[in-house]
Amino acid sequence: MLNQIFVAPFVDMFAAPDFLLQVLWEGLVSGILYALIALGFVLIFRSSRIFNFAQGIMVVFAALTLVGLYEMGVPAWVSVVLTLGVMFILAVSIEKIVLRPLVGQPDIILFMATIGITLFLIGLGEIIFGGENKVMITEALGIPTGSVVFEPWGGLLILEEKDITAVGVAGMLVVALLLFLNKTRMGRAIRALGDDPQAALSVGISLQTIWVLVWFIAGIIALVTGVAWGARAGVSFALEVIAYKALPVLMLGGLESITGAIIGGLMIGMLEKLFEIYWGQPILGGNTETWFAFVLALIVLLFRPQGLFGEKIIERV
Amino acid sequence: MRHFTRLAALAAFGAVLGTGTVAQELYAPNLAYRTGPFAATGIPLMNGQRDYMTMLNARDGGIGGVAINFEECETGYSTEKGVECYEKTKGQAIVTQPWSTGITLQVLPKSNVDQIPILAPGYGFSPMADGKVFQWAFNTPASYWDAASMMLEYIGEENLKGKKVAFLHLDHPFGKEPLPLMEKKAADIGFELLPIPVGLKEMQNQSAQWLQIRRERPDYVIMWGWGAMNAGAITEAVKTRFPMDKMIGVWWAGHDADLKIVGEDGKGYKSISFSYPVLDAPLMADIQKYVVDEGKTLSNEEEMQGVFYSRGLVISMILAEGIKVAQEHAGTAEISPSDLRWGLENLNITEARLAELGMTGMVPPFQTTCANHTGHSGGWMLEWDGEKFQKVSDLLQAEAEVIAPLEAQMAAEYAAANEPWPVSACN
Repeated sequence: MLNQIFVAPFVDMFAAPDFLLQVLWEGLVSGILYALIALGFVLIFRSSRIFNFAQGIMVVFAALTLVGLYEMGVPAWVSVVLTLGVMFILAVSIEKIVLRPLVGQPDIILFMATIGITLFLIGLGEIIFGGENKVMITEALGIPTGSVVFEPWGGLLILEEKDITAVGVAGMLVVALLLFLNKTRMGRAIRALGDDPQAALSVGISLQTIWVLVWFIAGIIALVTGVAWGARAGVSFALEVIAYKALPVLMLGGLESITGAIIGGLMIGMLEKLFEIYWGQPILGGNTETWFAFVLALIVLLFRPQGLFGEKIIERV
Repeated sequence: MRHFTRLAALAAFGAVLGTGTVAQELYAPNLAYRTGPFAATGIPLMNGQRDYMTMLNARDGGIGGVAINFEECETGYSTEKGVECYEKTKGQAIVTQPWSTGITLQVLPKSNVDQIPILAPGYGFSPMADGKVFQWAFNTPASYWDAASMMLEYIGEENLKGKKVAFLHLDHPFGKEPLPLMEKKAADIGFELLPIPVGLKEMQNQSAQWLQIRRERPDYVIMWGWGAMNAGAITEAVKTRFPMDKMIGVWWAGHDADLKIVGEDGKGYKSISFSYPVLDAPLMADIQKYVVDEGKTLSNEEEMQGVFYSRGLVISMILAEGIKVAQEHAGTAEISPSDLRWGLENLNITEARLAELGMTGMVPPFQTTCANHTGHSGGWMLEWDGEKFQKVSDLLQAEAEVIAPLEAQMAAEYAAANEPWPVSACN
């Protein structure tokens, strides 16, 4: 047993380095998509202290809207623009109908409201688009669907072009978000609201505008995530469960930290894949990805309750 | 006071009227799932089932002159919601169609008390075939063990000996169901069985499972997939360049829409099936005339040409035939759940009967008895040609001599574990 835990996995890694690279690549692809979903959560939490349970269904809703519009004969890129329009209308509606009347209510009430939004979007999505699995419009969007093959050390490394595109687009979106939050007036306003809501409001930052903005950004993130995941295995309501994978990312990285979401996502994506392949499958019979990330996050929480990058909250009583 | 007396009289009259209304239809609820992660595979099946009953109601005025109330109760494939649906509908129902192995396993222990037949065509607990033990449960026309046996038979013993077979399955009661038979066959034939579970949250991200397949280099992959797992597995198989002709799915992993995601790349993928779409069958013309043309279907032209819609029709045919046989035996059109149990135990779907139903070639002939609640119809191997599934084998039959003792053994174990469990002599 000790050999299986401490020796065999590393021997396997050195014996087949091309396979190790493949495992790391698959982990990176998953990780960056986890990070994207987590970013959606973090942005909304930072600006409003709301844990947005609806982030997963927003991914499904955005992807279904895109495919649905295309199936109605709308050109692919026009469908993208219209989908962004739908996500904007959704953000405005959520702010006006759900959040504004609940300003000042305890956090748990706002959290429950996002569960209500989830159920509403599930019903609305099923009424409009049906529950059938749909094919993501990968080719119409110009996303390459081939694969790039390398033969490192005489082995085999297959990189799907759509995965490379997903990593590239997700990476660019993360950089754009960081620039937006750090270099623009609106971005600074979002951060200010997260740091000290009272002070931010007192200097004239509009709560309503910021909420619409962050929910719209979460909608953009949902669309990119939906396209990336949908290109892998189709668009259906099953995509919603992928959002739950972001929960340990948030526990690990911290609910308020954008850096934490990115690094946490990448860490979990790669570590869960490495653990599954080299320890989970040979020793535990596989399927460790369902729990590994949560255990890792719990271990981190034991030592850093605020997560790796979260801010330590000190409250006077 | 007089006001209340009038109200009470009105209520009593309504109750009598209500009873009359209920008696003029047979309530056959379907525990459907048109929502949730498994909706994509559930919808065409539910549509096929619904359209068959709608057609019977429109064309024949129901069965034996009594309309069928084919109400759906939405479960989202959730076991908890399924049990709620069962409890909600059992008062008037003549049958329960649980539509999930998880839900079937939950309602199975209640069946002896509630005495409502459980109809789980092609799913559920394989030992339900033993009608002596599972007097109220039916997995007609074929069980999961039948499916596993036919898949191995198709590959061939000579091709399996000394080889490695990966068993990619949903980590759920459904996915684990064929394991006892697969393990027995692996020991008997002498092949290495490599179970690879896929968690519900990993259905659309199976890269780890397919990395394992790449590392282990199995000779065959047998897939027990459902819902979003199928599309996830097939896209990963294409990506990993696993030879498609070495991959065979159970009948719930043979959905046209899942394969359309990979299209030409999925060519050669196979799926065992107890049903097959015959688009020029007389039944399809009746469905068109009485359901589609009347605007009563929830389906669409593309879906209606697929394997799953057609299977939905077959599944409702099994129930309808059970009702018909029960009505003839009981001498009344308004049958009870007990009558239906008798009907489902005495099905004899011959080629001649299939021709009368306009369903020749849509399902193999089969016969049930008091002791045999499955019928063991056998099935066909279907292959994806890049656009649709094609039949590529003659009728395959499961190995009764291997399956029957295993069914009897596990049924007896179930009865012993759930004592006191009534066992019938089936005389």
